[in-house]
Amino acid sequence: MQQIDAVRLEVMWNRLISVVNEQAAALMRTSFTSIVREAGDLSAGVFDARGNMIAQAVTGTPGHINAMATCIHHFLHVFPAATLRPGDVLVTNDPQKTSGHLHDFTVITPVFLEEQLVGFFGNTCHVLDIGGIGLSTDARSVFEEGLFVPITKLYDAGAPNTELLKILAANVRTPEPVLGDIHAQAAGNDVGANRLIEFMREFELTTLEPLADEIIARSERAMRQAIATLPDGVYQNEVWSDGHEEPVRLRVSITKKGDELDVDWAGSSPESKRGINVVLNYTHAYSTYALKCALAPDVPNNEGSFRPVRVTAPERSILNALPPAAVGARHILGHFLPGAIFGALAEVIPQRIMAEGAANIWNLQFMGHDLNDDPFAYVWFSCGGTGARATKDGLHATAFPSGISGVPAEVIEQLSPVVMYAREIRQDSGGPGQFRGGCGQRLVLGVRTTRPYTFSGLFDRLHNPAQGFAGGNNGAAGSIRLSTGEVIQGKGSLELDPSTQITLELPGGGGFGPVADREPAAIERDLRTGIVSSGSATRDYGWSG
Amino acid sequence: MQGELHGPHFLLTPCCQLPAACCPLMIAYHPYHDSIISFPIEGGNVTQQANLRAGIDIGGTFTDMLLFDEASGTFTIGKTLTTPGEPSEGVMNAIREVNALTSTAPSDIAQIVHGTTLVTNALIERKGARTALITTKGFRDALEIAREHRYDLYDLMIELPEPLAPRELRFELDERVLSDGSVLKAIDDGEIRALVDRLKAEEIEAVAVCLIHSYVNPDHERQIGAAFADLAPDMTVSLSSDVVPEIREYERTSTTVANVYVRPLTERYLQNLVEAFAAAGFDGSVFIMLSSGGLSSVEAAQRYPIRLVESGPAAGALAAAHMGKISGRPRLLSFDMGGTTAKCCLIDETGPTHSADFEVGRVYRFKQGSGFPVSVPVIELIEIGAGGGSIARIDNLGLLKVGPDSSGADPGPACYGRGGTQPTVTDADLVLGYLDPDHFLGGAMQLDVEAARTAIGNLGSQLGMTVEQTAWGIHQIVNEQMASAARIHAIERGEDARLYPMFAFGGAGPVHAYGVAEILRSPEVIVPFGAGVGSTIGFLVAPIAFDFVRTVVGRLESLDWSDIERKFAEMMAEGTDMVVAAGADPAQVTAQRSAEMRYVGQGHQVRVDLPDGELSAATIPALIEAFERTYQRLYGRVAEGNPIEAINWRVIVSAAAPDLALESFGKHAVDGANPLRGERRVYIPAMGDYETVPVYDRYALDRTFRATGPMIIEERESTIVVGPGAAVSVDAFASIVIELPQSA
Repeated sequence: MQQIDAVRLEVMWNRLISVVNEQAAALMRTSFTSIVREAGDLSAGVFDARGNMIAQAVTGTPGHINAMATCIHHFLHVFPAATLRPGDVLVTNDPQKTSGHLHDFTVITPVFLEEQLVGFFGNTCHVLDIGGIGLSTDARSVFEEGLFVPITKLYDAGAPNTELLKILAANVRTPEPVLGDIHAQAAGNDVGANRLIEFMREFELTTLEPLADEIIARSERAMRQAIATLPDGVYQNEVWSDGHEEPVRLRVSITKKGDELDVDWAGSSPESKRGINVVLNYTHAYSTYALKCALAPDVPNNEGSFRPVRVTAPERSILNALPPAAVGARHILGHFLPGAIFGALAEVIPQRIMAEGAANIWNLQFMGHDLNDDPFAYVWFSCGGTGARATKDGLHATAFPSGISGVPAEVIEQLSPVVMYAREIRQDSGGPGQFRGGCGQRLVLGVRTTRPYTFSGLFDRLHNPAQGFAGGNNGAAGSIRLSTGEVIQGKGSLELDPSTQITLELPGGGGFGPVADREPAAIERDLRTGIVSSGSATRDYGWSG
Repeated sequence: MQGELHGPHFLLTPCCQLPAACCPLMIAYHPYHDSIISFPIEGGNVTQQANLRAGIDIGGTFTDMLLFDEASGTFTIGKTLTTPGEPSEGVMNAIREVNALTSTAPSDIAQIVHGTTLVTNALIERKGARTALITTKGFRDALEIAREHRYDLYDLMIELPEPLAPRELRFELDERVLSDGSVLKAIDDGEIRALVDRLKAEEIEAVAVCLIHSYVNPDHERQIGAAFADLAPDMTVSLSSDVVPEIREYERTSTTVANVYVRPLTERYLQNLVEAFAAAGFDGSVFIMLSSGGLSSVEAAQRYPIRLVESGPAAGALAAAHMGKISGRPRLLSFDMGGTTAKCCLIDETGPTHSADFEVGRVYRFKQGSGFPVSVPVIELIEIGAGGGSIARIDNLGLLKVGPDSSGADPGPACYGRGGTQPTVTDADLVLGYLDPDHFLGGAMQLDVEAARTAIGNLGSQLGMTVEQTAWGIHQIVNEQMASAARIHAIERGEDARLYPMFAFGGAGPVHAYGVAEILRSPEVIVPFGAGVGSTIGFLVAPIAFDFVRTVVGRLESLDWSDIERKFAEMMAEGTDMVVAAGADPAQVTAQRSAEMRYVGQGHQVRVDLPDGELSAATIPALIEAFERTYQRLYGRVAEGNPIEAINWRVIVSAAAPDLALESFGKHAVDGANPLRGERRVYIPAMGDYETVPVYDRYALDRTFRATGPMIIEERESTIVVGPGAAVSVDAFASIVIELPQSA
C-alpha cells in the first residue's frame, strides 16, 4: 500500500465511519426494543484483525460504546483467530467481558476477504428481557439476574446454533423480540461486513492494519497531546451515592504524568450485596468517556484514544465487582463516575468540565391492572438537571452522562393506565452560582386502576445532592413523596393503594462559580421565568432587586 | 431589452424586432454571457389567452420566476434581486420583467404559484410575534423539557434553543382530558375569560393553545378558541388540535407555537402580495407551495404558515421528480449543491420521499438536534454543511477537513478577490481547472486563480502536499462527505443508493455530481436544463393538496372502526372544501389514506397505504397484509404473528397534478453555434495529473450529441465535470445524461 497521506487517510477514515453508521442504521431500523430505536441505546464498531477498534458509529450511550471497544480480545481468547471461519458469528452477555449486565448482548462477526481474516464487526444492544428477576437492584447474585450466555458461537460457518436459541427462548419472558433483536444484531454486522469488503476492494487493500495503525496512531497522538496540556500531578476526589442500603463512596485518584493518565478508584466502597455493583469494564467505559469529554471531545473514539489512559479499581470493590456479585443496575453508579472525575479536574481545567449533575437516569416501573383488570407493566426513564459549565448554565431535565431520551406523557398514558398529573421544571432546584445548575423536574403520577399497583424505582441523589464546582452551590437533592404524606426511599418496590399519587422531585445540577459573580440580568431572567423563586433569589443569590 | 435589470437575468426574449407574441423564435439571453441559444416554437406564439401559469420563488438572494404558456409549451424565465424589506416588491419586479419580455400583462396570467423562505427566516431570525402558550395544568414546561436528550454525546457545552414562547408567557388552565378522550377535569369558563383578559393586558399578539390529549378530544381547546374569538378577536390564536392533531405533547406544542409565532407576519405578507397582484390587474388564482410538495390556497397558508417552512427546497425535489418521470427515470437521487450546503432527496415511483417532521433553527454549530421540531409533512431532504463556500482546514489529527464553516457570500472564497484568504471548495475547483476564471456566472465575476492557489498552497504546505494535491484532496473529501450522507439516508429508507441515477443541480451540483456518483456507484448523472431555476418548475407541477392527521392508538383487533371512519370523513370533508375553494374541480379531487402502524413494542411506525373501501373489523387481514408488505420492503423481514397497532391516521386530499409537458425543451436545437468551445487543462484524478480536455457549450449541444469523457460542459450558472470513459448524451428534454463507466 502506498504511504497514506492526509487526504487519502481522511477519505478512507470517513468511509469506515460511513460503514459503521450504515451498520448501526440497519440495526436500529430492525430492532424490536424501543429503547434501542428511540434512544439509540446501542453501539456498533469495526475492528482490525488484531481486535483493535478503529471506528465507531455516531450513536449510543457511553456504557455500551466504550465497553464494547475493548471486548474483542476476550472473544479471541475463547476462539483464536486462526480457528475462525467465514459465516461464524460470536455472542455473549458476559457482564465482566462486555457492558456490565446480562441485559446487554454483544455480537461479533469476523470478516474475511479472499479467505483472509481482515477484521471484525461488533455491536452491543440492550434486549427487552433476559429472564431472572428483571432489571432491578434486588438480586443478591448474578444468578438471580437471568440467563448467562458465555462467549459462544451464534452461527458456526453459517449454521445457526439452534441449541443456544432454544435455551434462550425458554429462559426469557418475551422470546420473539429477544431472538429478533439478536438476529438483527447479526444482520447489522453483515451489512457492515459487505460494505467493508467493497471498500477494501475499491481502495485495493488486502489488510486493514496499515490504515488501522495510522488511525490509531493519530488518535493516540491527539489524545496524548490533549493530556499533556494538564500539569503533572495527582488529582483526587470523593463523591457519595445513596447506595442500596447504605451510602456508597466513590473515590478517584487521577495521576497525570507526561502524556498519560492513570485513573484509580481505590478507596471506593466494597462490593454491595445487591445489584448496584459495577464491573471494571463498565468503570473503564465511564471513566474514559468523562476524560474524553473533558480533554478531547473532537478526537475520534478508538483504540488509540484509550491507550494513554489506564483505569483500575481494587478487586471486589464496588467498581470492580467479580462473579457472582449482582450487577443488574450497574448504570446507577456508572452514571456517577463522570461527575467524580470532573470534580477531581475542576481546579486544573475548570473551563472544560461541568459541575455534578443529577447523575443516574431515574428508572420508573409501574405494574398492576388497568380498569379492565388486564395486567400491565410499564417502564420509562426521566432525567434531572445537568451541572453548570464554566461559561453557561446547566440544562434542565436532560440526561447526562447517559445518552437516552425521555418518553412523552401522552405516549405513557396511551400505552399504560399511568396518569401523569404534572411534569414541570422544578423551581429552585438548580444549584446557584455564577452559572446556575440545570433544574430537575417534578412529576406527579398515579394509576387508573381499582386494585393496588406496584411502583418500583432505581433512584439516587435523595441524600447526596449534586455538588457545585468552583464555589458554586449544590443542586437540590431528589425526593419521592406519596399523597398519603409518606416519604419513600430510592430503591425497591412498593405496593400502593389505587388512590395514591406519587410526587417525584428529580435532582438539580450543581452551580459553577460564586453566586456573587452571577450577572444581575441572569438573576432577573430566572425570576421572570420563575426558574428561581423570589425567596430563593433573596436567600441564595443575595438579590435585593 | 425592455425593463430594468436587477441582477443576473436569464431571460427568453424575441430574436427579432417583432413583439414576443409574433416572434417565431424565442432566444434565451443572459447579459453576462456572450452566447445565445434559441428555441424554435412550432406553430406557436406566446398566446394572449389566459393559459399562462407562473411560478415565483423568493430565495435569499434572487427572486426567480418562470412563466409557462400551456398552449404552446413555451416558458420564459426571470431572475431579479430579492427585496428583503418588502418581498412583494421583488415579486412584482419579476412579473413586470417577464410580462415586458413576453408582451403580456398580469391579467393574462391565469395562475400564480408562489413559494417563499419568509417563514423559515422569521423562525431562524426570531422575528415573529410576541407569543403566549396556554396549556394543561402541570405541563407548561413540556416545551422546555423537550426530549431530555443531549444531541452530542461528547460536547459538554451544547445549547438548546430558547422556546418561542418564553416561560413567563406560558399559562396553565386547570383542566384535564385523559388518553381515551374522557374528561377528568372540566374546563372552567370563568378561568378562561380571566386568562384572556390577562393576555390582553400583556399585549400578546399571538396565542398557541395546546392541551394534553387534545388530539383525541379537542373540545377544551375549541372552547378556549371560541372565548378568544369572542373577547379578543384581534389576537391570533392557533389550536394544536387544528394545526397538528397528533400524539406527543412536546412536538405538538412546538409546532403550534411556531405556527402562531409566524402567523401575523405571514398573514400580512400574503395579504400585501395578493393586493399587489390585484392592483396590477391580475385576477387569476394564487396558490402557495407547501413543504409537502402540495399547493394550498392563500387562506389556508395564512392559517397554517408552518406548513410553508421548506417550500423552496421541496419545489426543487418536485422538479427533479417531474423531470425524472417524463424522462423515464422514476427513481432518482436529487442532488442540489449551493454555496453553503448540499441537499439530497430520494425519489421513487411515488415521488420524493416524505417525512412527518422537520427541525428548524439550529442554535449550536448547526448540529442536528439543536433546533426545535415541527410536525409538518415535508419532502424529506438531508442537508449537509458542504457547499462551494465551505472552508478547508487541518484538524487536530493533522487531517484535511472541509466545512461546515462557510465563507458565505462575503468575503467568499479567496478567488472572489473580496478579501477572503481561507481556501474553499470553489477555490479548489478553480485550481483543478473545473471552473473557468473568465466565465464564472457566465463571466459576471472574474475569478482570481492566483489568490486561490495561494490560499490552498498555504494549507498544503502544512501537510507537505502540492497545491494540486491539496486542491484535489478538498474536492474529494467534500464529495466523500456528500456520498456518505446520501448513502446513510438511503439505507434509513431501506434503499440502496447504488440503484439511483443522480439528478444534479444548484451552482456547485454539476461540478461535484460526477465525483459523488463515482463514490456511490450510481449508474448515471443527469443535469437538467435550466438548473439554476429548477425549483420554479416544481411549482408548476405541484398538485393542490392538503394533509390531515388524527391519532387513534390501539391494536388492530380492538380499534373502533366507526370512529376511525368518522374521523376520515371529517378530514376528507375539510380537505375537499379547502381544495375546491382553491379552485380545483370537485370531480378531480382524490383522497389517499394511510395509517402509521408498528408491531406492539416497537418505537417507530411505518406508514402504510390503506386499502380502498370502508374500514371495519373485516378489513383487518387486509391491513395486516398491507403493513407486512411495507415492512418487508423496508426492513427485509416481518415478525409474523406479532400483534400490530396503529397510531396515526392520515389522509392527503388533492386535485390532479398539472401536466407540464415542457415541449420547448424537446425541440431546442443548435442555432449555428459550435458546441466545442475550446480546450482546457483540468485535473484528472485517475491520471493523478492535468490533461487537456474539450470544453463544450451546453446551449449548443443537441440531441445528436454523443461523446466520451473526460470533458467539461459549461453553462451559465454551473459547470459539468465528466470523468474519463463516461458516455455523454442529450435527452429529449435537453438534460445532459452522463453514463458512468461500469467498473467490475
